[in-house]
Amino acid sequence: MNLTTLLEQYGKLYLTALFTTWTLTAISFSAAFVIGILITVMRISPVGPLRAAGEIFVQIFRNISGAALLILLVYALPYLNLLFSYYTCVIIATSLIPAAFCSEYLMSGINTIDAGQIEAARALGMSFFQIIRNIVIPQALRSSVLPLTNLLVSTMLTTALASQVPVNPRELTGLVSHINTHAVGGVLAFFVSAFLYSATAVVIGRIGSLIDRKVRILR
Amino acid sequence: MKKSNRKSIQNVLYENPGPRMRARIRAATILSLFLLLLLLFFIVRQFLITGQLDARYWSFFLRPTTWRFLGMGLLGTVEAAALGGIVALVSGFFLMLARISRFGTLRFLSMIVTEFTRGIPTLLFIYFFFLVIPQFGIKMPPLWKIALPVAISASGIVAEVLRSGVNAVPKGQREAALSLGMLEHVVFIKIIFPQAIRFVIPALIAELVIVVKDTSFAYVVSFPDLMQNAKVLISNYDALLSVYLVVAVIYIVINYLLNRLSLFAASKMKIEA
Amino acid sequence: MPDEIRDEIPVIELENVEKYFGDLHVLDNINLRVKKGEVVVIIGPSGSGKSTLCRTVNRLETIDSGKIRIAGEEMPAEGKELARIRSEVGMVFQSFNLFAHKTILENVIMAPMSVKKTPKAQAVKEAMELLKRVGVESQASKVPAQLSGGQQQRVAIARALAMHPRAMLFDEPTSALDPEMINEVLDVIREVAEEGMTMLIVTHEMNFARQVADRIIFMDQGRILEESTPEAFFEAPKTERAREFLSKYSVSTSRLPRGAYESVEKHASGVLGMRISATPEA
Repeated sequence: MNLTTLLEQYGKLYLTALFTTWTLTAISFSAAFVIGILITVMRISPVGPLRAAGEIFVQIFRNISGAALLILLVYALPYLNLLFSYYTCVIIATSLIPAAFCSEYLMSGINTIDAGQIEAARALGMSFFQIIRNIVIPQALRSSVLPLTNLLVSTMLTTALASQVPVNPRELTGLVSHINTHAVGGVLAFFVSAFLYSATAVVIGRIGSLIDRKVRILR
Repeated sequence: MKKSNRKSIQNVLYENPGPRMRARIRAATILSLFLLLLLLFFIVRQFLITGQLDARYWSFFLRPTTWRFLGMGLLGTVEAAALGGIVALVSGFFLMLARISRFGTLRFLSMIVTEFTRGIPTLLFIYFFFLVIPQFGIKMPPLWKIALPVAISASGIVAEVLRSGVNAVPKGQREAALSLGMLEHVVFIKIIFPQAIRFVIPALIAELVIVVKDTSFAYVVSFPDLMQNAKVLISNYDALLSVYLVVAVIYIVINYLLNRLSLFAASKMKIEA
Repeated sequence: MPDEIRDEIPVIELENVEKYFGDLHVLDNINLRVKKGEVVVIIGPSGSGKSTLCRTVNRLETIDSGKIRIAGEEMPAEGKELARIRSEVGMVFQSFNLFAHKTILENVIMAPMSVKKTPKAQAVKEAMELLKRVGVESQASKVPAQLSGGQQQRVAIARALAMHPRAMLFDEPTSALDPEMINEVLDVIREVAEEGMTMLIVTHEMNFARQVADRIIFMDQGRILEESTPEAFFEAPKTERAREFLSKYSVSTSRLPRGAYESVEKHASGVLGMRISATPEA
């Protein structure tokens, strides 16, 4: 099969698959970002049990393998009378794992903030929340642009988990295995998906470093 | 090391609490503890209601055969991760060499390969080895079918990590060695690379975590790793939830320990520096 | 001393203040009153507790016992009341502590706008005047990292002044500066002092201390050992510790007539690029 016939036959499916990968990535990343912020707030709170819970969450989801998590969600949860659709299971798995990493990146962003600046803000009479809003969040976010860009790419890579369960429409990895089990797609079928993935990753990376250059804090 | 960092940010963010703040923190502590226990209660209750805490789902974990079987699976995981890690290290090394070489074409090629491997999910590489390679009549043992794609997937990052290590070696070292009459490649092998690899050991260990996780897709190519052996246990004892939970905990513990090792290596290096 | 001055409420008042770091007694029965318009300079060897003392005044450090009052009002332990009193006491740190992600102008207007709710136009107007006063108005749109240490510290002073504080605390304001930048910062502090600002200054700059201080406090091991006029302290220190401390400074300023310091200092820093007032000999 050459490229033209492959694209003639499967071009539309590739487009749908690319779009599905993007959608999964966008949903998972947004969820991961929100959860990651919540977990980070817990981890820096002065409340012991919340700190411990946040820490446990991060250690679980940054260390569990994607396959094990997805299988637990899809096949084990029903035994607890918790039944989610395949799609929901995929979204949960591809959100929780990046959420743990998101929190790690935000924590290290917060750790880069100079203690003296917070003291200075305090000495000027700013309240705790004014300091959080004016100093901590802007600085932590600005120094997390590159890590979060990498996180967006790795979230996209994580969405390949969707190929392990029957979801419709298929995303880029699922499509390759579909084409290769139904026809002899060969190397080409693989390369089209690979190209679409890495092109997306490169574009994300470029945009990320552009933003980073704009907002990076000079020290 | 990490802990002390966290403590410092805690100290910085919060002032020494006054009596009102102390009372509020105490209230929040009690409330959150209560809510977390409530969550735990509901989880346990769900297990009880569905009978998942019944002895038949857990008693076989007391049998040595169960652990021997899981241990064999773990050995498979370790085997795949070790082979994948070594191949990734070697190919990452050559990618890095190409990236810092004098020849523009080599540098460009290396950059393309690095970007390519970094932007593609491991699963896609696994499907390549599982579905595409056999179409060329190449027969590969399952171990290689899982280790190679995992290695390829990691090689780009390994190359970048190694390059950052090489860049971290002070320029003066190379100049000093050259001025002693050493040849460029001798300088690299004897002076620069040994230092570079020491700089990046923590990052390489952290990358090993990703390799271990990626090997859990070994079931795709029917390689008997931890996940695959878990499946056999499940069909033997008809106990899916308990077995997969234990397997997940094993992964978490292994990777947690690897991460701790990475932190330990980093802190040790900081002390030496 | 006339009655009305004695009875006047001090702007800063510390009464029987005690503080421990573990077993270390960092502040040992500290009693100190700074009157309106008075400039008090604290000197002493490192580790004597002088920085800690300065930081307790606006509760950046808590104390174990004793009382701290600002304009007669006891320092609250937390909350809005604490923030309000802090906003009335300006502080300048050793390491400048400008907000790294904000421009110079934004650094100065941030607190007036968020704490005092000053309208932006007015905050900007006042900020520009202050920046002009400390000589960095041309840098207003740069970020802190683009400025020299001396410039950053002058911005930090402007930032504190923008809150219209009733008193200013200076915690070793020149200790992190390269020698050639020290005088530009000291000049600004001196000007602020001359305008009648109440000040508590921790410093190692002996010449400056002598010129600017109404009163010198000498601390060692958490205690105030001497409290006297600059002349009395520098010419005839009462304690052995103070004599020993002063002898470590390379140039004794005690024999120079007042007024000579400035010219000597200018000459030394301008021509030789060194300071006469100084750092202790290593």
